[in-house]
Amino acid sequence: MASRDVVHYDTPLQRILRILAAVFVVFYLIWTLLPFVVMFVSSFKDLLAAFKLPAVGDWSGIGVFFDFTPTLTHYQTLFYENNFSRYILNSLIAAGGSALISVIFGSLAAYSLSRVDFRGKADLFFWIISTRMAPVVAVMVPLFAIFRSLDLVGTLPGLILAYTTFNLPFAIWILKGFFDNVPYGIEEAQMVDGATRLQAFWSILPLVAPGIGAFLVLCVLFAWNDFLFAAIIGSGGAKTLPVATRELVQPQNIQWGAIMAAGVVTTAPMMLLGLVIRKYLVTGLTMGAVKE
Amino acid sequence: MATVTIKNVWKYYGQTPAVKDLNITCPDGSFVSILGPSGCGKSSTMRMLAGLEHISAGDVMFDDVRINDLAPKDRDVAMVFENYALYPHKTVYENIANPLRLRNASDATIKQRVSGAAKVLEIEHLLERRPQELSGGQKQRVAIGRAIVREPKLFLFDEPIAHLDAKLRAHMRGEIKHLQKTLGTTMIYVTHDQLEALSMADYIAVMHEGELQQWGTPSEIFNHPVNAWVAGFVGEPAMNFVTAGLVGEGDQVILTHADFEIPLLPSQVGRLNGAAKTGFARMGVRPDALSISMTKPAEPSITGKIFVNELLGGDMLVEVQLKDCRMRIKTTPEFAGKPGETCHLTVNRDKWHIFDAGDGHAYF
Repeated sequence: MASRDVVHYDTPLQRILRILAAVFVVFYLIWTLLPFVVMFVSSFKDLLAAFKLPAVGDWSGIGVFFDFTPTLTHYQTLFYENNFSRYILNSLIAAGGSALISVIFGSLAAYSLSRVDFRGKADLFFWIISTRMAPVVAVMVPLFAIFRSLDLVGTLPGLILAYTTFNLPFAIWILKGFFDNVPYGIEEAQMVDGATRLQAFWSILPLVAPGIGAFLVLCVLFAWNDFLFAAIIGSGGAKTLPVATRELVQPQNIQWGAIMAAGVVTTAPMMLLGLVIRKYLVTGLTMGAVKE
Repeated sequence: MATVTIKNVWKYYGQTPAVKDLNITCPDGSFVSILGPSGCGKSSTMRMLAGLEHISAGDVMFDDVRINDLAPKDRDVAMVFENYALYPHKTVYENIANPLRLRNASDATIKQRVSGAAKVLEIEHLLERRPQELSGGQKQRVAIGRAIVREPKLFLFDEPIAHLDAKLRAHMRGEIKHLQKTLGTTMIYVTHDQLEALSMADYIAVMHEGELQQWGTPSEIFNHPVNAWVAGFVGEPAMNFVTAGLVGEGDQVILTHADFEIPLLPSQVGRLNGAAKTGFARMGVRPDALSISMTKPAEPSITGKIFVNELLGGDMLVEVQLKDCRMRIKTTPEFAGKPGETCHLTVNRDKWHIFDAGDGHAYF
């Protein structure tokens, strides 16, 4: 799906609006990026330097922000005293595990919904999406009760299951769109060539791979950044990064330095992931949108 | 290599019948064409033979085995699809090798068979390319290669050359016919182009709105169409139809019209049954069974005014306006008549047809 260069002829008014739009974008960029920059820089400052501010109105004092000696003490606190390497692992396992399970079962379900016609299909499909419409907070208490009776609270499998409940309908919904876009001819040719239905399914996976890849990234992102499920269902044995960061806010002492470092540790992997797959993300997300 | 028998086959899509009570027997090793316009049920028939559609009623037999309940992979058929259905992420070599890989053939066998197929189709230099890098004609040959690499019981070709340009189509007609004769496998070829069917097939099954209209050799279909619809569908330029009256005068029956009165040949009078002797009928005559002249001939002829001349290279097509319709005549390019001039047409009565004015079935 490529965009075309639409021909346009600007009136003077449109030219002014165009400049204003550019200015707006610049401010918007500063607004969104500034917290990350502050967090990143602060994680390397010792606490005294972190709280140094120039006087109000003193724009030339902006150099004060960058006037410090970088230190790694906060990162050391995280990894040696607060066991953050364990929490990174938990986040990875929970996010990766639920993404993988969602994609495997989701692609099989999406394929059947796309290819097979059966009674009640439209109702089934709507029901699947409707589970995603429910606000998470509303189902938290009953979900917790169910998980506790199954001894799943505080375990990684429990957390993976909890994430999958919300990722799976999303997977089915999006992947069905991708499968709809694959012409029937290829599977039919495979079946006449001698493939079973499952082999034919396997053979068209490379064609939906960008979509599956994009979806995997979204799944991982959702689970990695999630606080609610991790705090309630994962509490104790399956602590993930957001929950662990929250615990750095203690009644007697808010460990700002460690919090900044924890913030960097939590957001950096996702940012890197985004940069790496940036090119494929848009293709993957829009693949199911337009039927060619 | 198999005899394909289609017995009383019906196909319903919901409540709509797409194929109605079809009965066809394709002899072993023959080239059978299923010919008909869009929506006549030919693709549905082919897909039922391949196993891609359920058969609503009736039996399909390969030799003496009933194959209704077999999955496509167990039927041992090879199919070439209208839009080729090549695997986009595989090379041409892998595309052609795919059926063999699915049957766990050894790498050596695969290499030998694929190279053999590529040689026959002259695509050896394309084996490492992907489908996106091929032209339409090349893609079509890859699709054919994928079908012939297996030596199946039956070939199913679903309008394979429909999307090629006219010159390439003409070339591929000969190539495909030669290929089928060389391999000797039964082939069922679906097309809407009557020229393809006439030039390539040993037998043609003409279908219209789900029903088989006529089964026969190309010569039988062309020279002895069983009804007006088949007569009008087959042959280019199309047959001329004129509604005329039938009047009996003693032993003779005369075809009467505002612009002509032509008696039937004695042998043809007997072929009309009694009911048609007085009444109306449709006369059908092909453009090349008419001759045109600017002077009135001695024998009974049709009088009309020239409407337009079309030069077709080696022939000239003249359209003549009669009182209620137009007729087209094929003549030599030297014909000198101009639009607006009166002309006279003589009918070759060995080659004309009379169809029933009601249901269109042919008397002769």
